Amino acid sequence: MRYAIQTIGLSKTLTLEGRPLDVLRGVDFHANDGEFVSIIGPSGCGKSTLLNIIAGLDSPTSGVLSLHGRAGSARLGSVGYMQQKDLLMPWRSVLDNAVLGLEIQGVSRREAVSRASEHLGRFGLDGFEASYPHELSGGMRQRAAFLRTVLAGQDVFLLDEPFGALDALSRSQIHRWLTGLWESMNKTIVLVTHDVDEAILLSDRVYVMTARPGSMKTVQRIDIARPRSADMVTTPRFVDLKSALLTSIREDAHAHEIAV
Amino acid sequence: MSAEMSRRAAPSTKRRWIEAADERARRWLPALAIALGILAIWEALVWALDVQTWLLPAPSDIGIALYQDASLLWTHTRATLSEIVVGFGLALACGVGLAAAIGLSRTLERAIYPFVIASQTIPIIVIAPMLLIWVGYGLAPKVIVVALISFFPIVVNMVDGLKSVDRDMVSMMRTLGASRWQVFFKAQAPTSLPYLFSGARVAVAVSVIGAVIGEWVGSSEGLGYLMLRSKPQFLTERVFAAIAILSALGVGLFATVGAVERLAIPWWRATRGQRANEI
Ligand SMILES: Nc1ncnc2c1ncn2[C@@H]1O[C@H](COP(=O)(O)OP(=O)(O)OP(=O)(O)O)[C@@H](O)[C@H]1O
Ligand SMILES: [Mg+2]
Repeated sequence: MRYAIQTIGLSKTLTLEGRPLDVLRGVDFHANDGEFVSIIGPSGCGKSTLLNIIAGLDSPTSGVLSLHGRAGSARLGSVGYMQQKDLLMPWRSVLDNAVLGLEIQGVSRREAVSRASEHLGRFGLDGFEASYPHELSGGMRQRAAFLRTVLAGQDVFLLDEPFGALDALSRSQIHRWLTGLWESMNKTIVLVTHDVDEAILLSDRVYVMTARPGSMKTVQRIDIARPRSADMVTTPRFVDLKSALLTSIREDAHAHEIAV
Repeated sequence: MSAEMSRRAAPSTKRRWIEAADERARRWLPALAIALGILAIWEALVWALDVQTWLLPAPSDIGIALYQDASLLWTHTRATLSEIVVGFGLALACGVGLAAAIGLSRTLERAIYPFVIASQTIPIIVIAPMLLIWVGYGLAPKVIVVALISFFPIVVNMVDGLKSVDRDMVSMMRTLGASRWQVFFKAQAPTSLPYLFSGARVAVAVSVIGAVIGEWVGSSEGLGYLMLRSKPQFLTERVFAAIAILSALGVGLFATVGAVERLAIPWWRATRGQRANEI
């Protein structure tokens, strides 16, 4: 079995003011082809650092990272990455922001616009293609940024807390929407989140990370049948999974307190 | 939803325009009041103290000179304006090119930036007469003086702009597979535009002084030349008329750059309020 993403013993040490800082230590992680995987961990444990390395923006200090079975350092451009900020360009309209990836790949303007137009409705941006980012709500900005990522056409997406800025209501809407999108696209998604409910509702598997230096502490398979909905948070299986995950997360917080 | 929005927007467009004009008038009102106040005091003092016109003309004398010498002043204004426009254009072209080179490469930055800064320590007054010998007597030496003075704020501001690009935005582009050039043209260059316009506004204001300095060193036309010629003739009101026109040129050119900025980067003003809130 070839994993879409696999890391073995991945470590990252930063040098801050001349002193080494272990951010990641021995991360063993994988995501199957077409799988939806979430990562939960305390703030500062190195989640964004891990995604940066997978995306190719950063390189590991040691360990192995392979994409679709190929190890190598030329990953930039082959992994879709949506960072915590939406990073829309204020001088571009929604449409022009969305086609940025296609433009970079050299796809003709007409072709890019037609591909983007196909998706606008599904991303809730119909009629807003000529609007500028500052005219959009937080949720619309996130969807526009996500459309940019999707249109670039990579088959692995890394999402770093993309729903942090949304309220609970638009969150549950976007959960349903994201699940639908993922099911129709057959892409691999790695989602970093602080929200345990969100992780369970969306994922096939959930990784829990330790505090810094971060590594994978537990991984939980979410064996709840799809389609899932927000009402399921009260079902016994959901409650079991949630308490297992919370226990795992708290253990770490506790250990951390003792260490401090 | 968007159709509904545009329907709502349509009838208010005209009203919004009037409101904007109103707002603009209100913005200029304080400056106008101060100018009128100063002119009134000036006029009163000249009359009360019976100051000779050749020593200090009253605003009314200057006004009369502006009216009576209109065609003469216009000829020289045109000469000065063309020096400013050509010199500023040259400064803009060279400034943007240098800033791009500095922004693209550390090595070029270290190689070029010291000379850019050193160029501002050149005593223009000393160099300008040599320019006459080097490039001749016509438009060229004035254009060079104007360009030499005004390219500096353009380069410095634009380099800052190119460097202020959001690093995360650059990362985002790289994950989309962008090359160094694509990052430069699609992220850095647009980010630098508001900075470029700030620099251009400073540059256009100092370019007026540049033109006058260029003319003082040697010329046969232009407002600076006219002032130089009128002073020994005790036509002080004409000197002041030329100063008034130069001031108006400066304000007008400054406003023109501002207007071009509003047209070229409308997103900048629209997002500025949000940024102020963030701070
Ligand atoms: N440029 C930097 N300067 C100082 N420390 C850094 C820098 N980059 C990363 N770190 C350190 O690396 C650690 C991991 O950072 P990272 O952003 O990956 O954490 P994270 O798990 O994504 O946190 P969060 O949940 O808050 O987003 C942090 O504890 C931080 O102290
Ligand atoms: Mg993070």
